Amino acid sequence: MSEGPITRVRAAVAPSYLTTQRGIRSWLLTTDHKRIALLYTFSVTFFFLIGGIFALIMRLELLTPETDLVSPQTYNELFSMHGIMMVWFFLIPSIPNTLGNFLIPMMIGAKDLAFSKLNLASWYVFMLGGSIVLYAFFRGGVDTGWTFYTPFSTEYSTTYVIPAALGVFVSGFSSIMTGLNFIATIHRMRAPGLTWFRLLLFIWSQYATSVIFVLATPVLAVVLLMVAVERIFQVGIFTPALGGDPVLFQHLFWFYSHPAVYIMVLPAMGVISELVAAFSRKPVFGYLFVAFASISIAVISFLVWGHHMFVAGQSVYSAMYFSILSYLVAVPSAIKVFNWTATLYKGSVSWDTPMLYAIGFIGLFTIGGMTGLFLAALGIDVHVTDTYFVIAHFHYIMVGGTVMAYLGGMHYWWPKISGKMYPEGIAKLSALTVFLGFNLTFFPQFVLGYLGMPRRYAAYPPEFQYLHILSTAGATILGVGYVMPLIYFFWSWYYGPAAGPNPWRATGLEWQTTSPPPPDNFEITPVVTRKAYDYAGMKEELRLA
Amino acid sequence: MPSPTESMLREQYGTPEQQRDSVTVGMWIFLATEVMFFGGLFAAFAVYHMYFTRGFSEGSAEMNIVLGSINTAVLLTSSLTMALAIYHAAAGRLVRTYWLLLLTAFIGLVFLAIKFTEYYQHYQEHKAPGMWFESNSPYASAIELFFVFYFIMTGLHALHMTIGIALVVIFAIRTAAGWFSASYHTPLEALGLYWHFVDIVWIYLFAIFYIVGLHK
Amino acid sequence: MSAPSFRPKTYVSVYGVLLALVLITVLVGYVDLGWGTEFVAVTIATIKASLVAMFFMHALAEKRLVWLVIAGALVWFLILVTLTMGDYITRSWLPFPGK
Repeated sequence: MSEGPITRVRAAVAPSYLTTQRGIRSWLLTTDHKRIALLYTFSVTFFFLIGGIFALIMRLELLTPETDLVSPQTYNELFSMHGIMMVWFFLIPSIPNTLGNFLIPMMIGAKDLAFSKLNLASWYVFMLGGSIVLYAFFRGGVDTGWTFYTPFSTEYSTTYVIPAALGVFVSGFSSIMTGLNFIATIHRMRAPGLTWFRLLLFIWSQYATSVIFVLATPVLAVVLLMVAVERIFQVGIFTPALGGDPVLFQHLFWFYSHPAVYIMVLPAMGVISELVAAFSRKPVFGYLFVAFASISIAVISFLVWGHHMFVAGQSVYSAMYFSILSYLVAVPSAIKVFNWTATLYKGSVSWDTPMLYAIGFIGLFTIGGMTGLFLAALGIDVHVTDTYFVIAHFHYIMVGGTVMAYLGGMHYWWPKISGKMYPEGIAKLSALTVFLGFNLTFFPQFVLGYLGMPRRYAAYPPEFQYLHILSTAGATILGVGYVMPLIYFFWSWYYGPAAGPNPWRATGLEWQTTSPPPPDNFEITPVVTRKAYDYAGMKEELRLA
Repeated sequence: MPSPTESMLREQYGTPEQQRDSVTVGMWIFLATEVMFFGGLFAAFAVYHMYFTRGFSEGSAEMNIVLGSINTAVLLTSSLTMALAIYHAAAGRLVRTYWLLLLTAFIGLVFLAIKFTEYYQHYQEHKAPGMWFESNSPYASAIELFFVFYFIMTGLHALHMTIGIALVVIFAIRTAAGWFSASYHTPLEALGLYWHFVDIVWIYLFAIFYIVGLHK
Repeated sequence: MSAPSFRPKTYVSVYGVLLALVLITVLVGYVDLGWGTEFVAVTIATIKASLVAMFFMHALAEKRLVWLVIAGALVWFLILVTLTMGDYITRSWLPFPGK
C-alpha cells in the first residue's frame, strides 16, 4: 500500500520519531526502537573509533622491523584491545542493534519490538559492559589477545584480565536480550498477510543471527566466568598444574566465538540482499535458497568450531571432522553469493553509493570466504595458522565484508532514518577510498602470512618490511575513507536536502511511510498482499513514489 | 494502582493474546539461554568426570546426601506451591495466589539456608577450593576440581534462586495490590516458568554431584 | 486469556511421583554400578525434569514455537557436549601415545 500526497501533507505537520519529544531524558528513557537504534549507532561508532586508533598505532609500529614505537608488552595490549573492542563492541552489535533495531519492526509492519523496555535495557547493559572494558584498558590494558587463552590469562598475565573479561561478559547479556527480542518479534508481531516467505531477506538474516545470539552467547559468558574464578581463587580449571586442560577452555570459547563470526556476517548478508534487490530493481534470485541458506549458516556454524584448534592438541579425528564440516558451512554462503550475482542479470542496475558497497562486499567476501576454505584444509592450516594469512582472511570478511555492508546499509537507509539525503558525489568517493585502502591494507597480509610472518608479533625479519609498509599505507587511506562518512552524515543531518518517503523507489514496508517515520511507524497497520521485492507488480506505485 | 487486562496491554500489541504469547515465547527463549549457560558447565564437568572418575567419586563421597536429598524435596515442594499459586490466579482466587507465592518464597529461603549450611560444612572440612582446600588423598587435585565445579554450579544456582525469591516476593506484593486477575496474570506465568526451570537445574545438579560417590 | 493448566490433584500426584524418584535416585547411588550409577542418576533426573516441564510448565500444551525452542535448547546442549567429548574420547584412538 503506497501512500500519496495526502500522507505527505499530514506528515509535514505530524511529528516524526525525532521531533515528537525533545530533551536528553526523552532519549535516555525512550522505548522507541528507532531512537534506541540511534543510541546504539553513537555507541558503536565511538567504540569503532577507539578500536581503530589501536589498529593505527599497531600499523605504525609495524612500519619498522624493530619494536621502536611501542614496547612488546604494549603491542600485546594493543592487539588484544583492538580485537576486544572491534569484535564485541563494534562488529557484533553493529548491524543488528543499529539497522536491525530500526528496521525490523518497520519491515514487518509493527509498531515496535515485542519487548520495548528490554530493548532500552539492552543498550544500558551494553554501555555498562563497554565502560568496564574501557576501565580495564585505561587502567593498564589487557594482553591476552581477544581470545583470553589459558593458562596465560588465568595464571601468568599481569594485566587487567578480569575487568576485561567482566566487561565482555556483561555485554553478552545485551546480545542475548537483543536476540530474544528479535526472535519473539519476528514470530509474533508480523502484520496481517505477512507470511514467512513474504518477509524481506534482511529479516531472515536477522532471525538467523538472533538464534546464534541466544544459543552461543551464554557459553561465552560461562567460560569467561570460569576464567575469572580461576584467576581470583587460583584454582585450576584450565591449568595443567591442577589437572585442568587449556584445550577445554578453547572448546568452550570457540563454541561461542565461531558462531560469533556468523553473528558478524549474517546481518551484513541481509543488508546486501536488500541493496542488490533495490539497485537491480529485481527480486533477489532464488529467494527461498537465500532464506534457507541463512538458517543453514546459523545451524552449521555451531558444528565447526574446532577449526580454530587444529594445532592446539585436539584429537586428529576431531580435527578431521571439524575440517569437513567447515567445508560444508561454506556452501550456503556461496549460494548467497551466486544468487546475488544472478540478481544483477537483466536487472536495471544503478550505481549509487549503497550499490558500490554491495558490489565491493560480494567481491571481498568471496576472497575472504575462499581463503577460509584454504584454512579449513588441515594440511594448509598447519602451515599458515597463527600467521598473517589468518589475519588477512578474517579482515577480508569482517572489514571487506561486514563493515562495507554496514556502510552500504547506513547510506541506503540514511534517508529513512534522518529524513535527509547524504551528498552522493562525496559518498561515492569515500566508498572508493575505503575499497582501495582496504585492499592495500590487507592483500599484502595474505602474502606476509604465506611467507611466514606470525601474527601478534611486533618485531619481524627485515625482508617483510616492504609488505608492512604497503599495509600501513593502506590503513591510513582506509582511515580517511571511514572518517569521510562521519563528516558528511553529520553535515547532512542538519543541511542535507529533504529525502522523500522513498528516494530509492524501493519495495519494502519501511519505504511505505514517511522519512523520518512517525513514532508509531505507520499511520495504519499495513496489510501485506504482495510477495517480497515485487518490483514488477509495483511498477506504477513506485513510479509515483 | 493499575487495573488488569486493558491497561496492561502494551502499545505495540494488538491483542492481549498476542502479548501473552510473546511473553511466553520470550521466557522460553530466555530459559533456552540458561540451558546453554549451565550447559557449558555441565559439558566441562562431563569431560573432567571422564578423566578423573576416581577423584570425582571421592569428591562426591564428601557430599551430605541427607541435606542434598532434603533440599531436592524442598525445591520440588516449592514448584508445587508455585504451580498451585498460578492455578488459583487463573481461577480468580488471588488471595490464595498471594499466600502460595509467599509460601513458595519461604520454601526457597529454606533451600538457601540448607545450602549455606552445606557450604559451611565443606569449608570446615577443608574442601572449599583455593587457599582453604586440604586433602591427603592421592586424588586431591581431582577432588579440588570437583569442588570447584560444585561451588560454581550450585553457587550460580543459588544466585538464580535468590533472584527468583526476590521476584516471587515482589509479585506477591503486586498480587495483593491488585495487579493481576483471572484474565491477566501473564507475569506470574512467566515467573512460574523461571522458577520451575531453576528447579530442573537443581535436579541435574543433585544427580551429578551427590550420587556418584554414595556407594563409598 | 490464560495459560493451559492442570488441576491441583494432577500437580500433587506429579509431586508425589517426583519425590519417589528422588528416593529411588538415592537408593541407586548406594549400589556400585561403576559408570552405570551416573548414567542411571542422570536418566532419572531427565525423567524428573520431563515431568516438571510437562506438568508444572505445561510444555506440551504450548504452541509449536515453544516446542521448537525447547528442542533447540536440548539439541544445542547436546552438540556442545557431544563434539567436545568427541575430542577427548578419540584422543586415545591413535596407535601411539598422543594428546
